[in-house]
Amino acid sequence: MTLDPIRPGRQVVQAPSVGAAGARPLPDVSDLSTDNPYGVVLITGLIRAQLGLTIGFAALTIAVIGSLPIIAALFPSVVHATVHGLPVPLLVLGGGIYPVLVVLGWGYVHLAERLERRFAELLSRPT
Amino acid sequence: MNGSGIAAVVAITLITVALGARGMRVARTPADFLVAARAVPSLVNASAISGEYLSAASFLGVAGLVYVNGVGALWYPVGYATGYLVLLLFVAAPLRRFGAYTIPDFAEGRLESPLLRKVGTVFVLVIGWFYLLPQLKGAGITLQVVVGSPYWVGVVALGAIVTANIAAGGMKGITVVQAFQFWLKIVAIAVPAIVLLSLTHARADALDRPVGATFPVATTVSVTEPIDFTVRKPVVVTASGTLDGRTVDGAVRLTSGRHSAGRGAKLRFPAGAAAPSAVGLDELTGRQWSMPFARAGSGEQHPLAATYGLILATFLGTVGLPHILVRFYTNRDGRSARRTTAIVLLLVSCFYLFPVVFGVLGRLEAPGLYLTANTDSVVLVLPKLAVAGPGGVTLAALVAAGAFAAFLSTSSGLLISVAGALSHDLLDGSVRTFRWCSVVAGALAIGAGLRVGGFSLNLLVGWAFAIAASTFCPLLLLGIWWRRLSRTGCLAGLVVGGLTSATAIAITMLGGGQTGWPAVLLGLPAIWTVPTSFLVMIVVSLLTPGSLPEDVAGKMLVLHLPEGLRGPMPRTWPTAPPTAVARETGWA
Repeated sequence: MTLDPIRPGRQVVQAPSVGAAGARPLPDVSDLSTDNPYGVVLITGLIRAQLGLTIGFAALTIAVIGSLPIIAALFPSVVHATVHGLPVPLLVLGGGIYPVLVVLGWGYVHLAERLERRFAELLSRPT
Repeated sequence: MNGSGIAAVVAITLITVALGARGMRVARTPADFLVAARAVPSLVNASAISGEYLSAASFLGVAGLVYVNGVGALWYPVGYATGYLVLLLFVAAPLRRFGAYTIPDFAEGRLESPLLRKVGTVFVLVIGWFYLLPQLKGAGITLQVVVGSPYWVGVVALGAIVTANIAAGGMKGITVVQAFQFWLKIVAIAVPAIVLLSLTHARADALDRPVGATFPVATTVSVTEPIDFTVRKPVVVTASGTLDGRTVDGAVRLTSGRHSAGRGAKLRFPAGAAAPSAVGLDELTGRQWSMPFARAGSGEQHPLAATYGLILATFLGTVGLPHILVRFYTNRDGRSARRTTAIVLLLVSCFYLFPVVFGVLGRLEAPGLYLTANTDSVVLVLPKLAVAGPGGVTLAALVAAGAFAAFLSTSSGLLISVAGALSHDLLDGSVRTFRWCSVVAGALAIGAGLRVGGFSLNLLVGWAFAIAASTFCPLLLLGIWWRRLSRTGCLAGLVVGGLTSATAIAITMLGGGQTGWPAVLLGLPAIWTVPTSFLVMIVVSLLTPGSLPEDVAGKMLVLHLPEGLRGPMPRTWPTAPPTAVARETGWA
């Protein structure tokens, strides 16, 4: 925090500026090493974030696809419903499920890449 | 069948060999042979992975199983596709970043244990070899339909072609071949499927009725192998050849009950007659057929347990397939490995829209296959039954070509993995050894392929998935994401998962556990062997912290850090990937 005498009698309070003198320098790529405690924290954070994203998508997959057999067992009326004469289970398992899979896959790729970009930005911010 | 079918199969084979030969001139080092040149564009690589993945079980087997077991069989393709989502979420990027060529490489590099590499290699051989058998069976039945040759001709021909091609060229040429074959396969199944759909007069509401399949028009069923079958409703057929041990020619009344037909017999059923089923084949009413549950053994006991057993095996097994993972090394970096996997997910999803069409139309229009039990050939037979004249002949030739492409590509990838594992992980790793290993592995597979004609394609493939899901899946998932995985824990989990799943499958293959819980737990063992394997790996690891590998944090860094951010690697981490291949070729 710096106190800046702009006008006499009045003081302006500023947020600490990036890489302010005296503070620890912000992390950069050279910190990413396991013999550096700071690097260990960074790497652990990255792995946790990636694992969180992965588990989130896995849970979503289980909820959307893994639940189908239970739904079919609990609600036999769904199993024998038809659309234009075609049984609903045939439509779901034979086609409807695939767009869901593809959306889940591309959604994950998008978010995983964003996560890695942010991590890289964190490291390459000008000091 | 006809000349055009033979011509199509021969053409596919020649193109494959020619493209492989192009690669032969540039393939020099063992690394070339194993993972091509590590810089393949994502779409090409994704096509190649899909081409390698879509095997006989996908091209022929899915339709055949839907035809027999109904909608519940669709969990197979759904699981085959979802497996790539699991691979994308948990494995694709970290494994590429780690720089391991194969699963045994990963096991050794991550846990610093040469013993784990050896055990991993054994499971690569078991899974790869199990997966080869249905490919050879597929070739056997395809040539049976196309050329009318005995079953063994197709098995031996495909086995010999693939073995010779791999021993001569390795994978450098095969990457191009695999990519080409994906596009061939999707055209070969999509075009006939769309044509058949547009021409069909079948009524979809016949699917969900409480009766069995019926002949929509008067149909002649030709018997190629002697068969016993069951008639539900008495019917008068026009028959020639051997029927119930007597030579007949003319109208015969088939009473309810069991009958037998000899080779070469022809039975003409009137329109509307109920289709008889071969003995041993479950005869399903439309109601039963449209149930979305997997079936284990005969009967429909414990449908939920069977379905979840299948889901676990296929969702988690893809991750552990040895011939698929080796392809990820041809991605430039972790990010492109992820994108490649997402494209694969899209490509295989598109493919799996089509086999189901053959299964459904087959039930409505070609119930004669229930009698002859050649259900895995419904994709090959249906175009000629449904489309008259040269159009049908052309479509039949197209599906035959696609089917042959399916066996060629998958069995090539498998044979490379098996021969590569043998030569690099158990022997000296030279190109010469690799060649000899592929010849020996190919010969052994042909020998076994001759004996599996009676098993459904998806059953055989499903077993390979179950073993992979019970061994390599926990190894990879825990190895990539869990710091506390110890050598002892990993070994214990691999051995327990591998032995339990393989034993269950061996019992089923030998005829044990036909009904009830044994059929479900032994025939679809993943439901208990996968959790057991995970549990053993975790519990034993926690109990043996003394056998943790060194510098786990450094390995986690290599697994998870995006390539662009890599500074100097930690001191304890080897500068080159921990593989015999890399050391030999000086890759760094």
